[in-house]
Amino acid sequence: MRLLAALTTLLLVAGFATGASAHAALISVTPASGSILASAPKALELRFNETVTPGAIRLIDGAGRARDDARVSASGEAISIAMPPDLPQGTAVVSYRVISQDGHPVAGSVIFSIGTPTATQPPASADAGLKVLIWLTRIGLYLGLFVGVGGALFVQWMARSLTGMVAPGVALAIGVPSAVISLGALGLDLLGLPLPAVATTAPWKVAFATSAGPAMLVAIAAMLFALMALRNAGYARSLAILAFIGVGLSLAMTGHAATAPPEMLMRPAIFLHGVGVAFWIGALAPLAALVSMSPDKALPIVNRFSRIAVPMVGLLALSGLALAIVQLEKPAALIETWYGLVLLAKLALVLLLVTLAALNRFCFTPALERGRAAALKRSIVFEGAIAVAIFALVAGWRFTPPPRTLVPETPLAIHIHTDKAMFQVLVSPGKAGIDDFVLQLMTGGGTLLEAKEVTLTLSLPERGIEPMEQGASLGPDHYWHVRKVELPFAGRWRVRIDALVTDFEKITLEDELELAPP
Amino acid sequence: MSKRSCLILAATLAASPAAAHVTLETKQAAVGSYYKAVFAVPHGCAGSPTVKLRVQIPEGVIAVKPMPKAGWTVDVLEGKYASEYDFHGSKLSSGVKEVTWSGGKLPDRYYDEFVMQTMLTDVLKPNTILYFPVVQECESGISRWIEIPAEGAAHSHESKSPAPGVKLMPKP
Repeated sequence: MRLLAALTTLLLVAGFATGASAHAALISVTPASGSILASAPKALELRFNETVTPGAIRLIDGAGRARDDARVSASGEAISIAMPPDLPQGTAVVSYRVISQDGHPVAGSVIFSIGTPTATQPPASADAGLKVLIWLTRIGLYLGLFVGVGGALFVQWMARSLTGMVAPGVALAIGVPSAVISLGALGLDLLGLPLPAVATTAPWKVAFATSAGPAMLVAIAAMLFALMALRNAGYARSLAILAFIGVGLSLAMTGHAATAPPEMLMRPAIFLHGVGVAFWIGALAPLAALVSMSPDKALPIVNRFSRIAVPMVGLLALSGLALAIVQLEKPAALIETWYGLVLLAKLALVLLLVTLAALNRFCFTPALERGRAAALKRSIVFEGAIAVAIFALVAGWRFTPPPRTLVPETPLAIHIHTDKAMFQVLVSPGKAGIDDFVLQLMTGGGTLLEAKEVTLTLSLPERGIEPMEQGASLGPDHYWHVRKVELPFAGRWRVRIDALVTDFEKITLEDELELAPP
Repeated sequence: MSKRSCLILAATLAASPAAAHVTLETKQAAVGSYYKAVFAVPHGCAGSPTVKLRVQIPEGVIAVKPMPKAGWTVDVLEGKYASEYDFHGSKLSSGVKEVTWSGGKLPDRYYDEFVMQTMLTDVLKPNTILYFPVVQECESGISRWIEIPAEGAAHSHESKSPAPGVKLMPKP
């Protein structure tokens, strides 16, 4: 018993030792993405909303060459990439891959041009094979945790007989290697390395340093305990309970849901959701086996299970609702983002699952009492199939950042060039609604244009919106800023910038700006 | 007139009931001759009284002598010209670049004129418009009559505060 207490403590400590964290979002880039600069910047600074660890960071210079002499240094939320001094003219691309606290990589590119823009392309992102591997191992992991550990719990606590242990055993045999491989695949993804590099230590080290590392350890421990419980080793029932708690802990330790604020709500919600799923789905395979092999012995077990299962489904729904509200932020995200669409598909399947469960309870279980087991068995097997489909869907969330964290990286940029001056206008997010403007003013020769006053005038003739004039303020970055400009409609806006160079001289440039719908 | 320019014109008219600008009284002058520049100030800055008027002397305009004005202090700012000009047999390479009247007060409901004598040298191109950018400072606010259209183009309807100009005629 003492051993078990020690293990429990270990699990709890591991579970809550990971600090405050979430899916990282890029907040600002200096110089802003899309900037045109007179000379090469000394460094590019990426600022995130939380502490991040740099993964792979690549620089492609204006001549299209990949450079390996950009030095990366990280301190907390900021990553600074020192630029080599000999950057050629043209558009340079910095593609970054950082690891956020939830253990997921956050990747993107920042472009800036020295002198005049050229057509440098950001490098292609991670290969599809790796993504498929990550997805498959995640399904394997869910099988191990929910079908395997949940099955062990059912066998030891609900059925108290050793019928129907095959499926949980197989699920665990899939789950343990899946957990290990998923960690390696995560490392490859974080570093942007190809599959063969899994044989090196680098990806493992990186993956282990993320919150996914300890989470996977807990998951593996839970699955091993469950295997022991299935073997009916000593303390089998305690091991099953411990494994069951490990499922919730492991899930609550990593991933974008567990690390979303408010964590005091999110982590327990994930824990409850996880153990709820394990309890429900884990029971299906042993139940189906029981019902088909010894229907008369099965009846009291089925009844006992459904008494607990009903409140458990309520708990699942409640915790799921809390998670969805935090992750989606607004109902529209349900149909506008991939994350939301996956959630919708999942809800449809869950609805089907709950319908089947209700059928089982109110139609097929009474049928079992009358000695007819076939319908119940078929229904349970079908439930299991739907559960696997749900796992496959949910595993896809790994690739869809929740709407809460979606931040546009490259703002809408327009470049207005005359022989007197060139203005670079960055509009973020570049959609109808409220936008921030950054005006970068340069002389025709590409040096900073000193101005006394700058005004931004916007109009949308097609919708009858007359020119709205706004004064810009000079920021410490030597660019002019106009914040929180209300642009009510999408469409082709006319942009006019007046820069007062001296008391008597004003440079006015005009252009059009295609604003996307929100 | 297109619908759009109608809209803009309507908006301009609506925005400033007295849609008058600071202008030059004499609209035409020959190059190579004296020109009496009379700046007509029809109103203040959005109702606020005018307290200062600054006129920038364009390149090619020399021998500038502002006319003193009762109640106002007149100042000139001298500087180097971009090139040398012949003036009664002598070469001029510097002179008045800016004229300022200040210290007076012209309420919005009154009209006044600010006058200077100038010489339009014959290096100026005939059949173009010569602009004198003016900054009108008021008790509150400032109006800059400094917009100069791109070469060849006339002031568009969209120009809110055009610089006063004079059409240059060939030397008689």
